[in-house]
Amino acid sequence: MGALRFLLRRLAFSAVLILGVSFILFALINAIGNPIEIMLAETPGVSVEMIAALSKFYGLDGSFIDRYGAWLWAILHFDFGTSIIYNQPVADMLEVWGLETLKIQLPAIVLSTFIATAAGVVAAMKQHGWADFGIVSSAMLGHSLPGFLVGILLILIFSYWLGVLPSYGAYSTRNMFMDSVVLDGLWHMVLPVGMLTVFNTATLTLLIRSSLVDVLRQDYITAAWASGLPARRVVLHHALRNAFIPQLTYLGTLFGLMLGTAPVTETVFTWPGLGALYISAIQQLDYPVIMGETMVITVMLVAATLLTDIAYVVIDPRIRLA
Amino acid sequence: METRLAPPSGIWRQSWYRFRRNRAGVIGLFLVALVVLTAIVGPFFAPYDPNDHSAMMRGASNAAPGAVNLFGTDRNGYDVLSRGIYGAPTALAVGLGAMVIASIIGVLVGGVAGYVGGFTDEALMRGTEFFMVVPVFVVILAVVRLFGIMVVGTPLERIPNLNLMTIILLLGLFSWPQVARMTRAEFLRLRHAEFVEAARCIGTTPREILFRHILPNALPPLIVLVALGVGGAILAEAMVSFLGFGDPKSISWGQMLFFNYQSLKVAPWACLVPGAAIFVTVLGFNLLADGLTDAFNPRVRS
Amino acid sequence: MRSIPVSAADPAPLLAVEGLKVHFHTRDGVVRAVDGVDFQVAAGQTLGIVGESGSGKTVSSLTLLRLAPPPAKIVAGRVMFEGEDLLTQSDKRLAEIRGRRMAMIFQNPATSLNPVLSIGSQLTEILRWHTGASAKAARERAAELLALVGISDPVARLRQYPHELSGGMKQRVGIARALLCEPSLLLADEPTTALDVTIQAQILDLLADLRQRLGMAMVLVTHDMGVVARMADRITVMYAGRVCETADAVTIFNAPQHPYTRALLESVPRVDHSYSGARRVLPSIAGRPPDLLHAPPGCRFHDRCPEATAECRQVMPREHVVAAGHTVSCLRRGSPGESAP
Repeated sequence: MGALRFLLRRLAFSAVLILGVSFILFALINAIGNPIEIMLAETPGVSVEMIAALSKFYGLDGSFIDRYGAWLWAILHFDFGTSIIYNQPVADMLEVWGLETLKIQLPAIVLSTFIATAAGVVAAMKQHGWADFGIVSSAMLGHSLPGFLVGILLILIFSYWLGVLPSYGAYSTRNMFMDSVVLDGLWHMVLPVGMLTVFNTATLTLLIRSSLVDVLRQDYITAAWASGLPARRVVLHHALRNAFIPQLTYLGTLFGLMLGTAPVTETVFTWPGLGALYISAIQQLDYPVIMGETMVITVMLVAATLLTDIAYVVIDPRIRLA
Repeated sequence: METRLAPPSGIWRQSWYRFRRNRAGVIGLFLVALVVLTAIVGPFFAPYDPNDHSAMMRGASNAAPGAVNLFGTDRNGYDVLSRGIYGAPTALAVGLGAMVIASIIGVLVGGVAGYVGGFTDEALMRGTEFFMVVPVFVVILAVVRLFGIMVVGTPLERIPNLNLMTIILLLGLFSWPQVARMTRAEFLRLRHAEFVEAARCIGTTPREILFRHILPNALPPLIVLVALGVGGAILAEAMVSFLGFGDPKSISWGQMLFFNYQSLKVAPWACLVPGAAIFVTVLGFNLLADGLTDAFNPRVRS
Repeated sequence: MRSIPVSAADPAPLLAVEGLKVHFHTRDGVVRAVDGVDFQVAAGQTLGIVGESGSGKTVSSLTLLRLAPPPAKIVAGRVMFEGEDLLTQSDKRLAEIRGRRMAMIFQNPATSLNPVLSIGSQLTEILRWHTGASAKAARERAAELLALVGISDPVARLRQYPHELSGGMKQRVGIARALLCEPSLLLADEPTTALDVTIQAQILDLLADLRQRLGMAMVLVTHDMGVVARMADRITVMYAGRVCETADAVTIFNAPQHPYTRALLESVPRVDHSYSGARRVLPSIAGRPPDLLHAPPGCRFHDRCPEATAECRQVMPREHVVAAGHTVSCLRRGSPGESAP
């Protein structure tokens, strides 16, 4: 029961949070004035009537509160308006570009969780040994190596020097890899996924190792050893479960960090995802896209936080029945 | 029972003793010192004026590293080494500036929340949670761009490096919640610490309790956080600039990457040098923070 | 107090610890936590190891199963258990002994059960690993053990998690876990220290009862003279990593020889003493145990000992037999000296 109330409270807070972000965002965009005027300021031969008509079409007339209400109502129905630059429904664009973003981010987070867990376990078991030293120092270096620099290095090495992997885009425009759309897509994913994996794995390894080192010192682990259980069982069953619980929060944070820095990742690899869309939208003041995308990213981040809360309840019996 | 703190010099001297034995921390301190030194004296030793792109006129842009240009030239004919050196003061200004702002706001908010407690605490902490869920980087990009439009035609426009200052301000404004949370946690812990209770018993004023007893003891974890934050802010500025939202009038490592990324294939050095500079700086601050954690908190690693 | 006649020169004791040395290698130097310790336990017998915190008693008991955590390092000695030296066995062989022939119960029941696994899975796992029992058989046996340690509704408890149980209950679960495979020796490290006083008595009664019913030997590590008085057949008194005195319980309480044992007994409040008149104050031992990083030469107890002489400051006493089954390490009781380490 306690768990359910806990989740309901988180849900309510999430709703308030999203509403808050939407209001601030709307007020911010509003503060720069009428985007139509700004965009057409240097275009010759634009009459006041034309600007008024365009403003009406994009819903820019009326009072601030009216417009905010109308916009909120619309996005609740997944109507994000029409892109000024691309002249397409923003909802459709977000779906198409969003899938491209998730296509590189989800595999990266899964891969890095597995790699980091394995590395963390090896390091924690051989604490202060050579394997530990190697894993910790490379993780420490990787932790300080910014993701986009990793991407630049990967491109330099694998695309330019070795010439084995594509350096940009999600698909080939001609000469598909092995004449297969699927393989060609996977081929293009290798470097971006590799970069995001390196970026995530380092920090996660450090966290899992230190958490595991801490857990291995606990009485219940000594008790497990004293019961004659084999090392595999003690470490993987008894210790890892406890060590992984604190990392759930970080997985949520990690997802947020990846999504938030998607503009950088996708600029490095010229990847047609949400980040690239966002950059072009703010450069060209495509405000329905800016607003729609910021809202979508916020909702995804809040959802990730909620998911980690639910995961806690599932994995940790102390919360489940508290 | 001691009613007073051990003299600060004792705490700090002990911490310094422990810090020196931490290899990672010492390497971090060395790297940070290297960056600071480069920022202060580097400009006197830079081989070229960072704004000198006369090499382009001679057709010597994208020149490989060599005797004339130690780290080569970039696509605009700038000397990569000189621009790299001039990037150091910018980076430190960004890191320190942002963390000064974040510390002031964070300590105030967290201190009030932790010391007053009750409803104020609840409200302030919900507020910080709000900042922690917002996709910070994305918002900073939008605000930098929108602010750039808003100032056109206003007196603000004449401020030199306005864009860079906006970025510093925004990074500070978005970094304070962590400082606030940490300050709050420390204040909550210390508010009921025995030596604080003892000070209260002998009639010490609240003001003195706050500034003589609580704040100095809350400092160590905050210093660690600030060290991490400086590295984080430098990295964030590099990413903002790399995307082309930086300050075109200032020289920063992110700007160098932005200008030279297109010619990565022909002139990789023009990207690798600023990239390495960012890496060394961020690594330095991270290692320093790691060493400080150890030094202030010997329990963590025996 | 039970009086089982025990001869010190038992031909083949169940457990014999000989010359055990465990050192901690820290950055500041070597801490000699256990510095040449001997004791024996006969089958079915209970040995109480008594000492202050830092006397090396807990490290000694953990070392019996090679469980002392780093930076502890076993430097010398033998742990002969059922005819084999545990310190030289392979990890695999040791895992077969742990939990099956020699099991352990811990001081703090709140931290010695895994918080994220159910009681049932923690118990059945051990049985299945050691005996290859089926899941069903293991659950039945686990429930049987829970009933044995006095837990009501054992089948329902198997599904519960540690945080749902009280401290005393958790300790009962800890005892059940140790008894699953009917070990011949049970190590109990301060099994009642973390419990409420009323629960302490219950747990001690339970342990005394189980020991008799199952006929197992026990090593009981504690700082509490009351606990050993109630439970132990023989007592080993430790101070600063060394053994001061070993004898059967009756002798330790009635005719202690070592000055430390005497001081320890005098500092225990007794109902048959009146603390009025000249002896109004409960005596305590002046001074503090030595810092084992910079252990003093000579007898470790010399600077707190009322009988110390100049020789005690220089020469380390060696154990010697003062009566049948009674050994003491004290120069003033005729122990031979040992050249400085």
